[in-house]
Amino acid sequence: MSEARRQFRMPPRALVLSLVSVSVVSILTFAVSRAVTTTSTPVTAKQAARPPRPALTSGEEAYMRAMWPIHGDVERSLMRASLGQIFYKTRDLSRDELKIRMEQALLTYRGAETRIRTLEPPASLRNDHEQYLAAVGLFQQAAVEALKMFKDGREDHLLAAYPKSQEGSDKIREVGGKFWPNEFPPN
Amino acid sequence: MIRNLVRVTMMLAFLVILGSLGPANVLQADPDRPPQVLPSGFEGTDRLLRDVERAENAPLHSAWIVESSRFLNVPHRAFQPDVGVPPFVDLPVNVGIIEGPDGNLTLFDTGWKQLAYIFDWNTSCCWKGIRAQLTAIGLDPNKVRRIVLGHGHWDHAGQISEFPDAVLYIQKEELKQIDFFLNYPVDFNAGHIRAVNTVDPLTGAQVGPPQQACARTPVCGYPPQTVQEILGKVLHGNAKIVDGRHEIADGLVIHPAFRGHTYGSQLLQVNTSRGQLVFGSDTYSSWTGIRDWLVANIQQTDTIQQFLAYEKCYVLASRLNSFNNCVSAHEPTSYTAAYPLTANWWNIPNGNCSRAAELVLAPGKTTHVPANPDRTPPGQCVSTIPPHTISP
Repeated sequence: MSEARRQFRMPPRALVLSLVSVSVVSILTFAVSRAVTTTSTPVTAKQAARPPRPALTSGEEAYMRAMWPIHGDVERSLMRASLGQIFYKTRDLSRDELKIRMEQALLTYRGAETRIRTLEPPASLRNDHEQYLAAVGLFQQAAVEALKMFKDGREDHLLAAYPKSQEGSDKIREVGGKFWPNEFPPN
Repeated sequence: MIRNLVRVTMMLAFLVILGSLGPANVLQADPDRPPQVLPSGFEGTDRLLRDVERAENAPLHSAWIVESSRFLNVPHRAFQPDVGVPPFVDLPVNVGIIEGPDGNLTLFDTGWKQLAYIFDWNTSCCWKGIRAQLTAIGLDPNKVRRIVLGHGHWDHAGQISEFPDAVLYIQKEELKQIDFFLNYPVDFNAGHIRAVNTVDPLTGAQVGPPQQACARTPVCGYPPQTVQEILGKVLHGNAKIVDGRHEIADGLVIHPAFRGHTYGSQLLQVNTSRGQLVFGSDTYSSWTGIRDWLVANIQQTDTIQQFLAYEKCYVLASRLNSFNNCVSAHEPTSYTAAYPLTANWWNIPNGNCSRAAELVLAPGKTTHVPANPDRTPPGQCVSTIPPHTISP
């Protein structure tokens, strides 16, 4: 080994310390650069001012509370009827099983109409009350139409029934969104 | 004494030998797939790589995303439990648009429909109908031939009926999940695990929806209206209820991601000039979550399955761009350079502050980004409330 190289030879401890220092600096540099380049800076969008939801009167609140369990029954029956038709089409549900679902749904819709008619909505919710009754009426018509399939064997009754149940589902979604805005929160 | 010891020892040895004759793998996991994975939901790495090879010989596609709407000021930890800074974030709801070699379009998810929900009491902005959005970015909505639903939640499956002639692709597992949880017994969970909110089943109290209870489970995101739209597709013969992997066309492959978000979640692999894009809907709710291997969206059914779905993207995109090709539904940094795939963005003209991003173009295709794109930051763009039937 030449004299010059011997002069520049680092002692082992200094070498280790240098390596550790370089490593630490490298890791810190990488971490900082990554944080700077990838940290999200979400911004809040502006939206046009909207009025706060007015406080409910005691009459409105009582009406909505009374509607809530009826709404749950209607929704479950409608979804069981809808999924039943899908599974029937995919041959995962028998004709008899579909018939049972449709009959149960019709019974629920009829019961729901009776229960809703016993409620006295405040004037401010009269239109929503009528909308919901109209929806339940559409569901009954759709179920009656679909059940014809089990009498004459023609599956096109399901297709004929569909627009009514679709319109009804739009209506209860609109009314439901007003009455219970947190029913289906961000998901 | 010694004789007794010998007898006991022999008896024990006999029992050990007898025990060893039984099935040795009773408690062992299936070596071919992780436990608790449905057979139709599992794809091994080799199989995924074969899909990459096949796709690379397929035509190249163009792809965009548009923002159907935007959740505002969502608590960050509700979205990503491991990320709390900043404390609140805005979450876009991204819809994927894929243009095939024949010029026809495939949508991955369809965004929102529920106007009353959006515009009345809830904090969200920027909704615009998807047909109008497509037109505004220079695409023809009448060319939408297919809709692939990443999952069936209302904010991703809301405008199906806007495309009456398009064929819908959804996993059977997704529909079975909703049906099962409609009748889930409530004796032990106070109704928190149900597909539809209901009155408190134990007390009978009519208190409205349990706040953030049902909502925090992935089975609670299906209004009847959404299921009705799926039914409409089935009854009109325009639905394909698939079970697991399904090749739609050359270079366009559905991959199951069961329980990655919902039970029947699915991904869409798209062959492009920047490699395989993988659209993930809410299974990929956060892109940074995929990049950093963090759980995103606590509503996923199964954390392990979500990570396995992340891995599918890593495998499918392993030849080019890796995790940068995973397309997220709610990534807060969407439409910024921080999410490089979406960096080429612009505000949709007359789009109520909703945004679009051009992800990739097939060779020879011209860009849909305007010559002078409006890139007004979200904080300066004021969205409006369109007319709707239910008013405050």
